[in-house]
Amino acid sequence: MALDVLVASLVAGLLIGMVLALVALGLTIIFGVMDIVNFAHGEFLMVGMYTGLLVAQGARMEPLLTLPLAAMVGFVLGWLCYFLFVKFLLRGPMVAQLLGTFGLMLFLRNLALLFFGSEDRAIHHGLLVGKSISLGMGVSVPATKLAAAFLAVSAFAAVWLLINRTKVGKALQATALNAQGARYMGIPTDRMNGLAWGIGGATVTIAGALLVNFWAVNPYVGLLFTMLAFTIVALGGFGSVPGAFLAGLVVGLITEIPGIWDSLSLALDWRWMMDVPMTSFKYTWVYLAYFIIMLARPKGLFGWKR
Amino acid sequence: MKRVWISGWVVLLALGLACSGVLAPSQVSAQQEVTIGVIYPLTGGAASAGRELQYGAELAAEIANNVMAELAMDMAKNAGIKSLNGAKIKLVFKDHEGNPTLGADLAKKLILDDKVVGILGCYHSSVTKAVSAVCEQYKVPMINDSSTSPILTQQGYKWFWRTTPHDGTFTKDLFEFLKGLSEGKAKGVKAVPKQELMNLAAACEKTEWGSAASGLIEKYAKEYGYDLKRNLLYAAKSADLSSEVRSLLAVKPDGMLFASYTSDAILMLKTLKAEKAKPKLIWGQDAGFETPEFRTTLGEDIVGVLTRTVFSPKLGQVKKISGQVNELYKKKTGYDLSDASARGFTGVQTWVHVLEKAGSTKPEAIQAAANEIHIPGEQLVVPWKGIKFSTSGEEIGQNLLGSGIIGQYQKNQAGEVVLEIVYPFELATANLIYPFKGF
Repeated sequence: MALDVLVASLVAGLLIGMVLALVALGLTIIFGVMDIVNFAHGEFLMVGMYTGLLVAQGARMEPLLTLPLAAMVGFVLGWLCYFLFVKFLLRGPMVAQLLGTFGLMLFLRNLALLFFGSEDRAIHHGLLVGKSISLGMGVSVPATKLAAAFLAVSAFAAVWLLINRTKVGKALQATALNAQGARYMGIPTDRMNGLAWGIGGATVTIAGALLVNFWAVNPYVGLLFTMLAFTIVALGGFGSVPGAFLAGLVVGLITEIPGIWDSLSLALDWRWMMDVPMTSFKYTWVYLAYFIIMLARPKGLFGWKR
Repeated sequence: MKRVWISGWVVLLALGLACSGVLAPSQVSAQQEVTIGVIYPLTGGAASAGRELQYGAELAAEIANNVMAELAMDMAKNAGIKSLNGAKIKLVFKDHEGNPTLGADLAKKLILDDKVVGILGCYHSSVTKAVSAVCEQYKVPMINDSSTSPILTQQGYKWFWRTTPHDGTFTKDLFEFLKGLSEGKAKGVKAVPKQELMNLAAACEKTEWGSAASGLIEKYAKEYGYDLKRNLLYAAKSADLSSEVRSLLAVKPDGMLFASYTSDAILMLKTLKAEKAKPKLIWGQDAGFETPEFRTTLGEDIVGVLTRTVFSPKLGQVKKISGQVNELYKKKTGYDLSDASARGFTGVQTWVHVLEKAGSTKPEAIQAAANEIHIPGEQLVVPWKGIKFSTSGEEIGQNLLGSGIIGQYQKNQAGEVVLEIVYPFELATANLIYPFKGF
């Protein structure tokens, strides 16, 4: 009985971890290229969730088919944010950049409140909604989560290939490593910065459109994901793409600590363990991990840039 | 000449002030209206319940403000409050979004700016607690129609009255139901051995209401001899409840008990379905389990789910006034009266009776009237014996004549999912579906 709970929790943690890795990818790319912390990252995800939800409901289409549109919306949003807003922040001190993206966060959140109200909304239709796949041992996985994890890994791999196997990706890396040097070599660094914001926006909105298949959306949902993304980026290393993937899995597993606790309490048959309300503070461990990493190594554990 | 001009301006200013109501002697005589502030969750996770409450309250005000002779209730006999020269009831709705701080701010605004004679609300017990503290501070009467945390009437407040029964009554009903089930009292089901339903697991949202409900479940499980293997609290605003559901399923419960608001109730059931949960019994502590959104979103998946309630459209079969008001409500909204709308209706109805008895909008007169009032059960749409507030003991302001029922979602012959009454056993309108068929 304890083993099936453990397996179910580990599988759930890994699956959600894959999606969380995609959530954090955009944040790490933007930071890697421009050294900017985007506080509005969670709100970009919220935009992706609302895009997926509204298109799927409005057009009565399969929610997973909204991904290309969500990616486009995210890319355009990121691109516009850079050229209309962030570009000017780069001229100011670091504190202006921090407060600027913080303002962007408040703006997007309140815009969502204005248009959609504060109600939770969720998708209730779709080929995979409500279906599960049995893994044996009495463990079953919701089909929406399995599909989301698979598609998240695919999107992650596509971005990794773009960065490491294409000319544009090399230019992006060059901009990240030494923007001035890259400019001397004829790389249009301004466009590269815009591209970084575009890719960052697209990846996180894809993650949002995946999450909305099994996660309710409201204008405040971004806050949780911003914190999760920060933890992943800190754990994986600021600017490190493979690091973000591994850290995503680790953070996914951290969110499943209540399940692991359950399996232990069942295995040991200790009533006091069962009575500990672990699910009430299930994200506390993630925040704790973030806090410890920030104290121990403010630049993150492994970095793309040295 | 200058004096004439100044005198002219003074006269004009006085006229202007008189027209704007600033110099009016009292709100009732100037406007022939009695304003009541109503604070409900009109957006946020419990918005659908908030809207139900609002529609119920609006219908009651409509009946109170007009003569509807066909309805056998006192407030339908007069147009407005007779003892206040026919003053009409005016409801000013505010949205607290499920936020206690916002609720308290809105209450202050209603009292200080809108000069309301009293407050009605607030659904979320946590918000009601904050608002009732403001009302107590300003000595403004508050009638609570829809919050069920027992603590609210244990605060010893002098300006707070609650019409609905609280969760102590409702939770005891559940365990009486389980006891009756094992004694073979449930309609259409043979006696279920107690051992078959011994293992219980509960999940309650962790605000004032859910925490109190969780404590009561634990108390009564112990009292009635059931093994509550898991009793967890979760955040109602959680966008994902997978780990909570897995934690519940880990103890292989026979019965699963919930206290949830709308969005989390829907999410909980969806997650249970995705995790292929198959308990023998699912029971919800009303709230989210009773909203139209819960029914329309989950459709046939909820067939067999139990919820405690204070109203079922089926009551119309045995109580004429319930059927009549339900028809009016259906005409107005397209839906049957629900637990929330019936309680919003009853809240305004209570206000009308209190004002009629007080014959004044002075707080002290309203306070005295509320403490003395007795509305007979036959005037109410809900199946209570009446409304009479406790004025002493541990629960000051609690309606002493309220009671609950347990409903079960079942599919009728037309294929619609309806709420049948299964407890009290003598009022059962259909055979109980047991065990729960699973998803």
